[in-house]
Amino acid sequence: MRIGTLKESYVADAALFDSRTQHVWLAIAAAALLLFPFMANDYWLYMACLVAINIASSAGLNILTGYTGLVSLGQAAFMGLGAYTVAILQLRWGTPLALNLLAAGVVAMLGGLIVGVPSLRVKGLYLAIVTIAATFIAHFLFANFDFTGGTSGLSMRPARVFGTDLDTSFRLYWLIVPVTVLMLLGAANLFRTRIGRAFIAIRDRDISAEVLGIALLKYKLLSFGLSSFYAGVAGGLFAYFFRVITPESFPLSMSIFFLAAIIVGGMGSTLGSILGAAFMTMVPELLKLVFDLLPGGADLTVFLAPVRLVIFGALIIVFLVFEPLGLAEMWRRTRRFFHLWPFKN
Amino acid sequence: MNQQAMSPRRRGLMLGAAATGLAALTQPLAVLAQDASEIVIGGSIPMTGVFAFAGVGINDGIQDYVKIINDAGGIKGRKVKYVPEDTAYKVDVSVAAFKKITSQNKVNVYYGDSTGFAKTINPELERNGNILMAGASFASELNDPKKYPHQFLVGPDYTEMFGILLKHIAKEKPGAKVAFVYSDSEFGRDPIEKSEAAAKQLGLTVAIKIMTAAGSVDVSGEVIKLRRAAPDYTIFHGYILAPIPEFITQGKQQGMKSKWMGTFWTMDSSTVMKMGADGDGFMGVMPYRYYYDTEAAPMLEKIRAMRPEYQSTAYTQGMLAAMLFLESVKRCLDAGKPLTGDAMKAALNSLKDFDTGGLIGVPISIPGNSIPVGRVYKADMKAQKMVPASDWIKL
Amino acid sequence: MDMDWGYLFEVSLTSVMGGGLYALAGLAFVMVYKATRVVNLAIGEMLMAGSYLFFTFAAMWALPLWLAIPAAVLASGVLGAVIERTMIRPLLGEPPISAFMVTIGLGSVLVGLVEMIWSADQRRLPDFLPTQAITVGDAFLAPKIFWGAVIASVFITAVLLVFRYWRGGVALRATASDQAAAYAVGINVPRVFSLSWVVSAMLAAVSGIIVGSIGGISSSMGVFGLTVLVVVIVGGLDSVLGALVAGLLVGLVEGLAGAYLGGEYKLLATFIVLVFILMVRPYGLFGTREIERL
Repeated sequence: MRIGTLKESYVADAALFDSRTQHVWLAIAAAALLLFPFMANDYWLYMACLVAINIASSAGLNILTGYTGLVSLGQAAFMGLGAYTVAILQLRWGTPLALNLLAAGVVAMLGGLIVGVPSLRVKGLYLAIVTIAATFIAHFLFANFDFTGGTSGLSMRPARVFGTDLDTSFRLYWLIVPVTVLMLLGAANLFRTRIGRAFIAIRDRDISAEVLGIALLKYKLLSFGLSSFYAGVAGGLFAYFFRVITPESFPLSMSIFFLAAIIVGGMGSTLGSILGAAFMTMVPELLKLVFDLLPGGADLTVFLAPVRLVIFGALIIVFLVFEPLGLAEMWRRTRRFFHLWPFKN
Repeated sequence: MNQQAMSPRRRGLMLGAAATGLAALTQPLAVLAQDASEIVIGGSIPMTGVFAFAGVGINDGIQDYVKIINDAGGIKGRKVKYVPEDTAYKVDVSVAAFKKITSQNKVNVYYGDSTGFAKTINPELERNGNILMAGASFASELNDPKKYPHQFLVGPDYTEMFGILLKHIAKEKPGAKVAFVYSDSEFGRDPIEKSEAAAKQLGLTVAIKIMTAAGSVDVSGEVIKLRRAAPDYTIFHGYILAPIPEFITQGKQQGMKSKWMGTFWTMDSSTVMKMGADGDGFMGVMPYRYYYDTEAAPMLEKIRAMRPEYQSTAYTQGMLAAMLFLESVKRCLDAGKPLTGDAMKAALNSLKDFDTGGLIGVPISIPGNSIPVGRVYKADMKAQKMVPASDWIKL
Repeated sequence: MDMDWGYLFEVSLTSVMGGGLYALAGLAFVMVYKATRVVNLAIGEMLMAGSYLFFTFAAMWALPLWLAIPAAVLASGVLGAVIERTMIRPLLGEPPISAFMVTIGLGSVLVGLVEMIWSADQRRLPDFLPTQAITVGDAFLAPKIFWGAVIASVFITAVLLVFRYWRGGVALRATASDQAAAYAVGINVPRVFSLSWVVSAMLAAVSGIIVGSIGGISSSMGVFGLTVLVVVIVGGLDSVLGALVAGLLVGLVEGLAGAYLGGEYKLLATFIVLVFILMVRPYGLFGTREIERL
């Protein structure tokens, strides 16, 4: 908590961004996001779009896992649902982009609700395993239906907005980043409402929450639905971004990636989703840079993929054991340090 | 209160730091350190991950060929530069590599690592218009010059590989019963439908088609199915090694008399030799000559002089890719044409009875997107070598 | 439709025998869950680690089999102890979700290490099972499957006996049924935790060696663990009997789906069984129903 900010009303206290410093920072961040595409080259734009898509999906998973305490290993499958929805709508009916993205979210949400139904009977880890089952069932459906293009998947035309084809990373940036920012604002605001607070109550102790009058099934399903809605929209963006989707585009390891992202970033924190997804997306690229700098780097590249896997796993373990609140907490600590300096925090 | 006084300066400092960071981020990558006359081969190479066994060979093959050309003075005096990047056989990493390499170099030709990548990057290739691409994929889908105008396959596509095998079978044993065993993946399912029709045309019967689950270890149920269908020939596709040895071992234990066959990615000498004694007589289609082939081949001799130890067929594939790339570039330059994707592809298609220096045993022509040539080889476990079992077959 | 009974029998026989391996790996899983309440998602990767250790001893160092197998199993035991001590013990008292997610990380680390040390190439283990074909009536049974099942049942029996009569086994069962009470009667609970991970890793290594000698080894053989997960959930996470019955059942379902529907239906069928069981009996066939109190 920041000191030196006096609140005079509950509304002010509950505000999303509560201090002037924060407003300044937000303005800087917004300016940076606006200027970035004009300064960066194609590679960095590509990475920025990828990071934004991953942030959107991680934010969704964070609602379910970080805030409601239900582990899901099905995030990739829900993204797949969204991606296929977008592709099929565009290829069959040529419907506009905004509608497609919305439909992607809704279809994924329905999928999420179906998978969430067993939460009526089973809890916690059993549920995580149902989501693994969902991943494989979704893969089977994608691979064996005609209208999903079988194992070779679907190829799309670029999205067309106001007569422009969104076919370069530069143009896609203006679609993907604003949508992601909107979704993040939505997620952050969610936890100022009754629904969001109910989620947190369920996470902290579901039986107590029920005693408090929170309908468990309803809210758990809602959490599942919201989380998969996010995944679906992210999947839709994924489809517009890569324009080729196959059943193999959404493997179980991708779901694990998102779980790792929120663990590393910080569960139960929107900032955590951002930091985690950005960090984990950049890890392979950073590793490449490190390997290039090492002496004899060329011979070491053979180890790049396994090292990446080891680091992925190790990050999950290390953060869970030593810093369960993730990068977001480290960030907060650093901020506090500067804030209170020279006094001890 | 203290905070109010402090914060503007701190803010300024942090802003400065952030700006420097951002500048540092974009700076080194924006620099195009390149000699304008260089011919650049970019590459998304799977040097790590599940496809690493091939990626390493591919990388060496391209590198060696580039060296041969540069040592001979380049192409019309222009040096060739090879810029590879590891992809771990993942599509998004591979696309990132493409973006990185193309934003730092003026890439003329590109080697891609997978079917997924080839499909994903295709719109980008068309938009760019100045790149010719080939890769590690032999997917039948890519063998379509209309949909993939700036790409080609460095050999027959999977359906054509099956075609070559079936043609061989029809000659060796007319009316034979064949079985297809393939994996449940895009790779595995690729040639099956069309090949069934092709088999019928050649007067063969497809006794059974068995699709195995991806990554399944125990195939005894499938072996029983296969044995009951009693095929004369069994063609495996969509695997590298497992579960082929298990099929063969169990099949033989149960008294099957089938002959066993595979496609390109199974057919590297070192892979087949891992099958052990039961793999003796394993056959398959191979569009290239093996490293140790004894027939006259100047390129193979060059390779053996450069690298005294065995080089995989993936190495040959990479080398041939580089050879065809640079031959197309050379023909373009000779004709005084600009190096556009269209011009280079047209140059590639103009190859008629082109001599690959023996990498492929017959002169080749590339009328479309593939090189529909191959030969059936057979494993000789005693000599630990693959020996020819047929002539070169053209489709 | 005309039913081919001979085929049905042959396929069923093979699949049930194959299910024996699921049962053994399931047992390894249950061992850890019973004692420590940790859902070990890395069970498939631990299998893989065991088989690669065996590969190193038997194929690379060319040790004789009677030395290579125990060495691989012991080394896996050490690995189990290390995992427990460094990753699981610090999370004691944290919500079970944390330990669950740690095992996901563990899986990734193990795959990475295997690829780093042995590369991602597929490899074959030296053949050590008899190759004489086995026939039951008209039905063929692949010798590897048969002997694999025999070894699995020997180990399962041994484990059951040990847990019935050995002090350590009794301590483990006591800890499983009531941790606080176990402490009170002087059982060293943390040591029981270590013990359970060691035993589990060793059992996983044994099944890894058998699975590897049937289908070859690769860094992606952890997929086997997914089916094991289905097995233990269908059987009930904390039930040894459940793991055995469900192992055979899932093996059978998978085999029949593969035979009559096609390879792509194998995993689908097992997961449908899983979802069905969860809806009907959320705690599995033989699992203990947990009662929650505030």
